[in-house]
Amino acid sequence: MRHTWRQLLWFSLVLLLLSGTVRAHEIGTTRVSVAFQDAGMYQVEIVTDATALAEKLEASSGSSLPPGTGADRLLELLKGFDEKFRHRVELAFDGSEVRPEISYSVEPAIDAVSAIAATIHLTGRIPRDARQFTWIYAWTFATYAITAGGATQWLDGGERSIPIPIRTLAPPPTRLATAARYLQLGFTHIVPYGLDHMLFVLGIYLLGRRARSVLLQVSAFTIAHSITLGLSMYGIVSVSPRIVEPMIALSIGYVAIENIFLSELKSWRIALVFAFGLLHGMGFAGALKELGLPRSEFVTALLTFNVGVEAGQLAVIGTAFLFVGWYCARQDWYRDRIVVPASALIAVTAVYWTIQRLSF
Amino acid sequence: MPYLLKSLMFRRFGAPAVAAIALSAPLLAHDMWIEPMTFAPQPGEIVGVKLRVGQDLLGDPLPRDPALINQFVVEDSEGRKPLVGRDGGDPAGFLRVPAPGLLVIGYRSNPSKVELAAEKFNQYLKEEGLDAVASVRSSRHETEAKAHEIFSRCAKSLVLSGPANAAQGDRRLGFTLELVAERNPYTLRPGQDLPVRLTYENHPLAGALVVAMNRLNPAEKVTARTDHDGRVRLRLKPGGMWLIKAVHMIQAPAGSDAEWTSFWASLTFASEGN
Repeated sequence: MRHTWRQLLWFSLVLLLLSGTVRAHEIGTTRVSVAFQDAGMYQVEIVTDATALAEKLEASSGSSLPPGTGADRLLELLKGFDEKFRHRVELAFDGSEVRPEISYSVEPAIDAVSAIAATIHLTGRIPRDARQFTWIYAWTFATYAITAGGATQWLDGGERSIPIPIRTLAPPPTRLATAARYLQLGFTHIVPYGLDHMLFVLGIYLLGRRARSVLLQVSAFTIAHSITLGLSMYGIVSVSPRIVEPMIALSIGYVAIENIFLSELKSWRIALVFAFGLLHGMGFAGALKELGLPRSEFVTALLTFNVGVEAGQLAVIGTAFLFVGWYCARQDWYRDRIVVPASALIAVTAVYWTIQRLSF
Repeated sequence: MPYLLKSLMFRRFGAPAVAAIALSAPLLAHDMWIEPMTFAPQPGEIVGVKLRVGQDLLGDPLPRDPALINQFVVEDSEGRKPLVGRDGGDPAGFLRVPAPGLLVIGYRSNPSKVELAAEKFNQYLKEEGLDAVASVRSSRHETEAKAHEIFSRCAKSLVLSGPANAAQGDRRLGFTLELVAERNPYTLRPGQDLPVRLTYENHPLAGALVVAMNRLNPAEKVTARTDHDGRVRLRLKPGGMWLIKAVHMIQAPAGSDAEWTSFWASLTFASEGN
């Protein structure tokens, strides 16, 4: 005698039962498990005592099972009784019965005293838009466990299960849907969730009055962060967020402070913005990794996320232009009343973030 | 034999009222019996003892459940021993035959609770001949109410190793409800009745339905009601495994969360030799 996995399973199921509501039952050896697969297929697996099942099938057709019937013969019998077997099994989706494909297998007993187990698979396609599954198995007189999606129900033979919700994964999204989703994720990563990136972009914007200034800086920034975003997502570059995040905050502070002392675009400023762009790209990669990328649409998601980020930046710039660029930038007081105070505010915030991020 | 007069109410349901009917009916009250892997072991042999729950001798395995076992024992002339086994295992127990002779195997379960819909419960009372309970329910206008029942099993089995000996017989194990063969069934000759006594708390139980069925033709039942001494005489055809069963139901004690308490006695043996 040795512990079989079946005994262990039985015991753990009984413990599970005992831990729930008190509903003492004579628990047999039949187990049923239900799985809903991604491809819209269902599979029900019944593991039961092959001899006991064959005896009942024989009896229901007025004959009887010879004692000592072996595994091979039992398998033949079960296959032969397929139609009969179906009479006392019901699979229904939203109340409508379905007819499954049924396959039978019988394992020989591990020793002379052990039972011969039958494993029966009932499979088929889940009807479109089906929401619930119900189940009846009337080939046992004992209580048995049915597990589906980690939940267990205890049923008596012939008792209908409480409806089991169908939790299939949604069909894989189309490329277009993925693109739309990551475009949106990229955008919202800037507006409204990425206040630090918004302030950086504002910092870039505030430097000069001319469109050329904004355009050059934004282009440098975009090219740079696209490079590191891609390289990080492919695992080529990897810098810890513990370094990247404080550096991003510091870069915002630098740009803002420089705005106070500089009123024209210098080439080294573009180089710096490019360097900072490399940092921000790694920050975007960290966020994108947290969101997760679909394996099948990796490139689509990566590109559209990046485009979403661009759109977010342009939205920030566009809004800034509407509020302070359109009219104010032409005024004499633009620099003193807008650029310097705003930049100072951004700088203070950025310094605060830098300290905060360093201390984590 | 005065009890014969009252107990000779043999009813035989012949006919091919095959098990198909039983299977298609809502399954309410299941029998529980002991099925040793052999009824005729050799001395020294280790015998797997299966527990079965079902109907018309179509049974499902009941693996060993420590939470359900109150007693699972074998008794012979040397005394009583527990049956060993692994939790969750089928057969639920094993015994070693110490010497030739008759072995009495007993399984007494702890109580289990079950809730039954009114209609199912009424039908079950009818099937098991529990007329007294049915009339109490009827007089209390409870026939439409669902029933809560606490049931327990009192199963026995007789196994013979070596030649049959009329001096050796069934033994009383002291189960709450118990069927005791008053003659060694392995010594019965064709045409002889098997006297069986039904006791409840060690007193004869009168008026209870006793049903016998054979593995070779489970649909054909031999039934009788116990007389005032708790006795029935059953004319059993030779061959195959016999299951004799009786159910007794009383009102559940006050304070229990059930209306009814039931006890399910069974006795199995084989009569291959005859």
